[in-house]
Amino acid sequence: MIEVLIGIISGVISGLGAGGGTILILILTAFMGYEQHISQSANLIFFVPTALASIIINTKQKLIKYKLAIPITIVGIIGAIIGANISVHLDVKILKKIFAIFLFLIAIREIISIYNMYIKDKKTHNNGNK
Amino acid sequence: MVYLLHGGGLILVPVFTKIFHTTEKESRATSVFCMLPMVVASSVFYYQNKYFDIWLGIKCAIGGIIGGIIGAKLLNKMNNKYIKILFVIFLIIASIKLFK
Repeated sequence: MIEVLIGIISGVISGLGAGGGTILILILTAFMGYEQHISQSANLIFFVPTALASIIINTKQKLIKYKLAIPITIVGIIGAIIGANISVHLDVKILKKIFAIFLFLIAIREIISIYNMYIKDKKTHNNGNK
Repeated sequence: MVYLLHGGGLILVPVFTKIFHTTEKESRATSVFCMLPMVVASSVFYYQNKYFDIWLGIKCAIGGIIGGIIGAKLLNKMNNKYIKILFVIFLIIASIKLFK
């Protein structure tokens, strides 16, 4: 049942808004020895129940901007089809390397966001919220 | 737009917030709505190519639901800063490990 535990860890991180799916793929691939494609598909399944729950709650709270969402979803589906097709035909070694670069970019983005949130704010003191 | 399927939210949330000027909450909510059909669409191709371990996915999803609830509760109590720092360290180590 270690997979459930990995799911819990990833879920906690998702709840904190920091890319739970990324962590899920990472643990499955780098530490559990699952094949990269299989881990990515597990991430897809992992996403569905949480997304459904969140969509229901957000619809009630009127947080979803449909006018914005619909065109982006359509373009996104096309993008996802292209992405998935590239991914399934890529060699695992290359896919892993691309994923590693992607993780590194997220790390940089997170560092920038930490800097903006906690360091810059302290320097500017009470000069605005963001 | 969506890099081989993950990280869609990482791209969409800042785009919504910065370009379309929605609030952080609205951006997150809208991005999840947009991503669900994308995820379903990509799953079809993973399934067709037999890269689909449904039981592994379900086990992780069960954990994900439990973890999501814990995470949402922790969010109010713990300092996000340290979790983010840990997350970054973990990402860097893992990316190096995977790249080798």
